[in-house]
Amino acid sequence: MIQAKNKMGLIFFPAYDWAIEDTHPEREERLLYTQDQLREEGVFDIEGVLEFKPDVATELDVMRTHFCFPDVASVTTESHMISAGGAIRAARLVLDGEVKKSFALVRPPGHHAMKAVHGNRGFCNINNEAIMIEYMRDNYGIKRVAIVDTDCHHGDGTQDIYWNDPNVLFISIHQDGRTLYPGSGHTTEAGGPNARGRTINIPLPPGTSDDGFLYAIDHMVLPILKDFGPEIVVNSAGQDNHYSDPITNMNFTAQGYAILNDRLSPDIAVLEGGYSIQGALPYVNLGIVLAMAGVDYSGVREPNFDEIADEIRQERNITAYIERLTEVVLGNYFKPAEGRELLYPGDYVTRKKNIYYDTDGIQESQVESLMRCNDCGGLLVLESVSSVNPLCLGIEIPVGACPNCRDEGLKYFERARKQKKYAVIHFINRVNKEYVRV
Amino acid sequence: MYIGLDVGGTHTDAVLLDRGGVVSTCKTDTEHSNLLGSIDRALREVTRGIDLGSIVSVNLSTTLSTNAIVEGNVEPVGLLVSSGPGIDPENFRAGRHFYLLEGSIDHRGSVVRDIDEKALAAAAEGCRKKGVKVFAAVTKFSTRNPDQELSMAGAVSGFSDFTTLGHRLSGQLSFPRRVASAYFNSAVWRTFSDFAGAVQKSVAAMGIGAPLNILKADGGTMPLSRAADYPVESILSGPAASIMGIVSLCHVTEDSIILDIGGTTTDIAIFASGAPLIEREGITMGGFPTLVRSLKTRSIGIGGDSVVAVKKGKVSVGPERRGPSMADGGKQPTLIDALNVRGIISYGNGARSVQGMTALASKHDMTPEELSSTAIECALNAIKNTVEEMIYEINEKPVYTIHELLEGKRIVPEKLYVMGGPAAAFVELLSDRFKIEVTVPKNFEVANAIGAGLARNTMEAELFADTSRGVLSVPNIQVSERIDARYTVERAEADAVRYLAAYMKTIGAAVDEGGIDVVESSAFNMVQGWHTAGRDIRVKCQIRPGVIMDLY
Repeated sequence: MIQAKNKMGLIFFPAYDWAIEDTHPEREERLLYTQDQLREEGVFDIEGVLEFKPDVATELDVMRTHFCFPDVASVTTESHMISAGGAIRAARLVLDGEVKKSFALVRPPGHHAMKAVHGNRGFCNINNEAIMIEYMRDNYGIKRVAIVDTDCHHGDGTQDIYWNDPNVLFISIHQDGRTLYPGSGHTTEAGGPNARGRTINIPLPPGTSDDGFLYAIDHMVLPILKDFGPEIVVNSAGQDNHYSDPITNMNFTAQGYAILNDRLSPDIAVLEGGYSIQGALPYVNLGIVLAMAGVDYSGVREPNFDEIADEIRQERNITAYIERLTEVVLGNYFKPAEGRELLYPGDYVTRKKNIYYDTDGIQESQVESLMRCNDCGGLLVLESVSSVNPLCLGIEIPVGACPNCRDEGLKYFERARKQKKYAVIHFINRVNKEYVRV
Repeated sequence: MYIGLDVGGTHTDAVLLDRGGVVSTCKTDTEHSNLLGSIDRALREVTRGIDLGSIVSVNLSTTLSTNAIVEGNVEPVGLLVSSGPGIDPENFRAGRHFYLLEGSIDHRGSVVRDIDEKALAAAAEGCRKKGVKVFAAVTKFSTRNPDQELSMAGAVSGFSDFTTLGHRLSGQLSFPRRVASAYFNSAVWRTFSDFAGAVQKSVAAMGIGAPLNILKADGGTMPLSRAADYPVESILSGPAASIMGIVSLCHVTEDSIILDIGGTTTDIAIFASGAPLIEREGITMGGFPTLVRSLKTRSIGIGGDSVVAVKKGKVSVGPERRGPSMADGGKQPTLIDALNVRGIISYGNGARSVQGMTALASKHDMTPEELSSTAIECALNAIKNTVEEMIYEINEKPVYTIHELLEGKRIVPEKLYVMGGPAAAFVELLSDRFKIEVTVPKNFEVANAIGAGLARNTMEAELFADTSRGVLSVPNIQVSERIDARYTVERAEADAVRYLAAYMKTIGAAVDEGGIDVVESSAFNMVQGWHTAGRDIRVKCQIRPGVIMDLY
């Protein structure tokens, strides 16, 4: 029998009875062929590869992370709670020492879900990785986490949630936003004033293949991770960079995904997008599982790889472009742009955002105000109005908040309650683990 | 009347049954060098003085294939394998004639690369020269497309006495299990079919005209005609025999625990709502996971003859057996002796039990009573822990739909059935420990033979249909049909049952369509470019393990 070098937990939950719509890419069938491939390869018989059921995330798990308007139940279904619960289970397995690494092969995905949630955008309602990370921080005292998002689409939801968090490093490698949904993820987006350099975007040109992705891992991601020194590395394992993906333009392969995971060596991986469900997912998932488990993956290859190998070779100008990108990306982390010095602690910095929920057709307008703080992530206040909800408010006293931000947050909440200006107020107090909706 | 025969490692048990219950029984030692002789003796004994014409069936549980594999007493197999990309197939090498051939089939059953005909011919020729007579042909995803296995078999057909085709063993996916199962099947084929042939002759010579069935690990039987081609399915049928005995002897209706406490081991099984649970993937034989369907059982090294020892002040029981208990004339105290000392049983030479326990206890500053109690505790704990692990595993079994995850049934045992030599001694101890009702079935001494005798034919089949390609197949029973684009899951369910019933008829099994259950059924829309291109339909049906009649 084959032995895994790393004892590994798989949370395989294909939700065979759930779809966004009949012919939507996010439908029942999505992980069917992956399961066929994993079973036929005998992955579940590898000694040290264990399969587990997902947890079901609770309302509290969601409220700890998101401002859901009007409430959690209105913007989620059972499938979302199980998908997020799958990620939580993956984290528990690793932190309880039951396994060395874990992979939550769950759907629906979550990385386009932002701090405030009014509905579904980019096939996502709630952010599985963020819910998992906040669960770890509340229940296991984990402080520093790095997320490496390898989905082809910019992980704009995860970026939004951790924009102001100095203790969570978010790195997204994706197809350049000028050529693909959601259009963001440029190198100029590098974190809020209290967390400069903690958001790192690596936009790659269409046509990038294994060479380019692995170059980005070796020369950008790994040096940054080494310096940041996270306790846990999470891979948002989207699989739509694959050359056969129907809605993207990249040339990554199953073998490339396996090598990436081998080098990145994440503690936890959580499935994100990837809609080439017959031509890519079975092989990419096999590669990721084997690489994480420390089992030889050199034989993993798409059946049609030989025919397409020449077609997907990376062009020289792309290679040159990615090499040039390195300096910018490393600079964003190691020498973050000026900005915070211009503000005094206690000042509010505001961002105005208009967000379109493509799946549900919802339009949202937000004003996010963050209190400048030298001692913590800073008090966050978020006013939001959308085509489905009147003006709502979210207030968050962040993890490890300083006394000043905490007091300010409590006062803000009291004032807002008296004003009767908001249809719903969500109050998150991470210091007291208090999560309130009024 | 029905005859059940269980040729075990130590004893051969035979039982003759009719509507009224057990008519006669026989227990004789198993002669390993002359299994046929043991069977003959037992058969003559139980049928003495009865009308042989009234015998309906003779069911046999035998360790022959198991022992052949465990002892390495197997025939060289020409193992022809093709895997295509994926995990290195070298990991699944078995035997000395392993040929890895180019060729590849994907998960839809499409041929990606043809079999390397030259290499295949060379492999066949190599085997022929070395005098290899039996073969196994296995490719990845052969359950979706058996063509490459068939062409491999074709290459050796001129000189092969027997070739196992991987896809015929099961519709289930798992290339490594398929390789191991096919290899074992061919490796024991000759031994088993020679033996089966001899048994059939000997039964006929005795004047018994009833059909002969072979017991399988899933608690069901297969007609001899099928067993001759699928001998691997006869492995590890021993525990299943006893479990089916319980099904017949006791009216089990709730979630239950079944313990069979023997001399060396305790076999544990779990029932859900009165039905024995089946292993999800297949049984593991000699460290190799296989596709052989099996009841969910676990065996631990705790039995009446398990040695009681003290190491660094810690009392242990088993897993070794070093001869019988002292009460039975052995040299080291065992669990039986501990039970004797505590007065829970009064077995054999009690004085020797006391003597043995006292000697061991005094070396470790204990009274013999203390030592005995601790030893009994220790045995009970081992059993309880294993039972709890099994139930945890069953309840944590992964599921793949939201409905099952949220509504899934959990096993909570309400009753415990215990059989085996020391069973009666354990009733109070077990009910104390498990806090549930404990029952010792009557006739449990021959529950194994009763189970074998009354087990009915079982079989399973998986139908796979792809309406975009217009094909339907049930690989293990050789069904392959064209279907139209409107083919539905309802039709697939009816077809699966019909095909299986027809197959059972051809192998001479007594089953009608009513006895076949659809256990899994799904239909997925396959979408290409935002349009539904067809449906992927999968139906799994089975004849559940069960008994021909109840004896309670």
